[in-house]
Amino acid sequence: MDHFPTNWGRPRNDAYDAYGTFPIPNRPLNAPKDAFGEGVQRTQQPIVTGTSVLAMKFKDGIMMAADNLASYGSLARFKDVQRLQPVGDYTVIGAGGDMSDFQYIQSLLDDLVVEEFTNQDGHNLGPKEIHEYLSQVMYGRRTKINPLWNSLLVGGFKDGERFLAYVDLLGTTYSADTLATGYGAYIAQPLLRRAVEGRAGGADALPEEEAAKIMEDCLRVLFYRDARSLNKYQTAVITASGVSISDSKALETSWSFAEGIRGYGAQTQ
Amino acid sequence: MNPMNTAAQPQQRQFNPYTENGGTILAIAGVDFSVIAGDTRQSEGYNIQTRYAPKVFRLTDRAVLAVNGFAADGNMFVKKVKQRLEWYRHAHAKDMPLHAIARLIQTMLYGRRFFPYYVYNILGGIEDDGSGAVYSFDPVGSYERETCRAAGAAQSLVQPFLDNQIYFKNQQPAPGTAHPAHLPLPHVLSLVIDSFTGATERHIEVGDGLEIYVVLAKGRDLSGLEGFAGLQEVSSRSDGERIFVIRRELKKD
Amino acid sequence: MTSIGTGYDLSASTYSPDGRIFQVEYANKAVENSGTIIGLRVKDGVIIAVENLVHSKLLVPGANRRIQTVDRHMGLVRTISLFLLTVHHMSILQASAGFLADGRHIANRAREEAGNHRDTYRSPPSLKTIAGRVGLYIQAYTLYSSVRPFGISTVVGAIDKDGPALYVIEPSGVFYGYHGAAVGKGRQLAKTELEKLNLAEMSTREAVTEAARIIYAVHEDNKEKEFELEMSWIGDETKGLFVPVPKDLKDEAERKAKEAIEGDFE
Repeated sequence: MDHFPTNWGRPRNDAYDAYGTFPIPNRPLNAPKDAFGEGVQRTQQPIVTGTSVLAMKFKDGIMMAADNLASYGSLARFKDVQRLQPVGDYTVIGAGGDMSDFQYIQSLLDDLVVEEFTNQDGHNLGPKEIHEYLSQVMYGRRTKINPLWNSLLVGGFKDGERFLAYVDLLGTTYSADTLATGYGAYIAQPLLRRAVEGRAGGADALPEEEAAKIMEDCLRVLFYRDARSLNKYQTAVITASGVSISDSKALETSWSFAEGIRGYGAQTQ
Repeated sequence: MNPMNTAAQPQQRQFNPYTENGGTILAIAGVDFSVIAGDTRQSEGYNIQTRYAPKVFRLTDRAVLAVNGFAADGNMFVKKVKQRLEWYRHAHAKDMPLHAIARLIQTMLYGRRFFPYYVYNILGGIEDDGSGAVYSFDPVGSYERETCRAAGAAQSLVQPFLDNQIYFKNQQPAPGTAHPAHLPLPHVLSLVIDSFTGATERHIEVGDGLEIYVVLAKGRDLSGLEGFAGLQEVSSRSDGERIFVIRRELKKD
Repeated sequence: MTSIGTGYDLSASTYSPDGRIFQVEYANKAVENSGTIIGLRVKDGVIIAVENLVHSKLLVPGANRRIQTVDRHMGLVRTISLFLLTVHHMSILQASAGFLADGRHIANRAREEAGNHRDTYRSPPSLKTIAGRVGLYIQAYTLYSSVRPFGISTVVGAIDKDGPALYVIEPSGVFYGYHGAAVGKGRQLAKTELEKLNLAEMSTREAVTEAARIIYAVHEDNKEKEFELEMSWIGDETKGLFVPVPKDLKDEAERKAKEAIEGDFE
């Protein structure tokens, strides 16, 4: 998962490098850019973007987390955005990538939930159904070359079963005990996997308090390392007793170490 | 052109509807069986997305399809093939024969000739005459029946191995003997397992888990399968062709 | 109906010489002949109760509900009806078929209107808005010779931004808001009973009992037919959703209703 939503869905240049030996195949273009120099129209690019979403299974359900930032390029534009959204009674979706596309997805899901409710047929949408629906929408849009520029995590709990899966702008899907989008795929995913895969009994042996601690640690590391992140975040917990999304919380961070670094603070040489 | 030098000249930056999700699949036909296998890792670039995403799918009691390439296209393609097979069942009250599934897949792939499903398909199973068969396809539908085929990220590692061990390429038979046209099941299974452990060692996109489907012709006994660790039957009936799956671990590094 | 046979009742686009549109009046007749529906707008919510006449013992009890859900926060019931193109086409069979189809069609239209409102304004519509839009739609079917008016009256209830609301849309397309509404065969008696209640002070829970009692009371005049009581409500107890009244509460209300009726006889 590339950290820069702007690079998502762009060619990988495999023609030069079939075995991917080049160090960073998706290195972003950081040279000065001339908006007119490229002389091309873009099919689409994300404008206001959210960064990583994290999720993991634990003993009683699913825990998800995302910060409250929506960036405009490198500008921290909106700092009170909710990127975790409950859908129906059993599911939460978390979104990275373009926030206006995410709002559109929310309205699609809202219409879907209302339609299912008005049927009054005793069937309720669970996380599996919502993930399948989103997969079809995302894949359908990429096939029309008009993608919804997001990477989404779908977490839920229904009929005694945990569910956690991913879908993105290409329609790519997968499921695992721990998932992370964006920069989190590089920074948080290894930490999450160490906590879950490295534990005897795996996710089934992970209590909620510990999951929350791991999640917070991951978010803290992300805040230290991801320039498009924020120290204000929300978590969602989905268990047999339903969906709960926390109020925004602040991350405890420490910057005292920076004083000893050359070129920072008082010491300039 | 140096790929790092992208800032030097104008470039077209447009949405690319494809990606490549790694992994490898392979299939080998025997006289009265067919073996179809794939690893379960799904990756993009250097990221492992998941350690378990199946690439091999049971279509009918005598057909198994392995799909490799762009995972989203692969999943959609399998979904559509399964749908067509179900419609066939509703219309004709029987499962589609293997050779017909092969032609169906070619038609479906070619139907998207100008916006292809970016997937390599290998279809394995039992023909109407009871013989084991493997069909391999390119993304736009060219296909042929073969004895064995590897595809995907480690195709270039596995196929030469199979050429040598199954087609006996570059091997002289001992004087007065001939190379066998088909190998027995236990031998085939160990070749499959060795192929994947080898590919796992040498290719970063291969690993995590291995799923081996074994399709047996009608009436064939289970010899060569019994006692296999992780063996599970997935056929819908026991008096026709039978399908088994063997699940094994591969290295996760 | 002294004007029958004069030719002024063949089309919804023709007035009679004394300024009436017979097709619309026939549609009203269709409504008048169907099972009773009442709606109660009370202090904290709305309750809708239906006398669902069972025309065949072969029907599965509890299936074939007459109350439909339009939106997350809104329940809709339409009454009944025989639709008549002309008087002699009327028969029980056609009646129930016509009723079901008309009702579903209008419910779907109401769902579309609610959905459009949400898509356009990102907020749920008020019930008045929906009643108005559905009213316009129904009214359009009173204008043309090529169509027949809908043979239904629609009772809609909701809690919207202004609190509990209850409207009835008639086959002519007019709609009125009510504290207590009744349509169908037993509407006169039902209205009399509703008028005795202090609806503005009543809780939805109390209203359940009253609604059941009224439906059972008006059914006394129609006793040869079997019926199922159908009730849905929205209020403080339903978390903002229009849902069927829970079984235990409904059973209790039906028990009291039967007692009350037997009490009247003694």
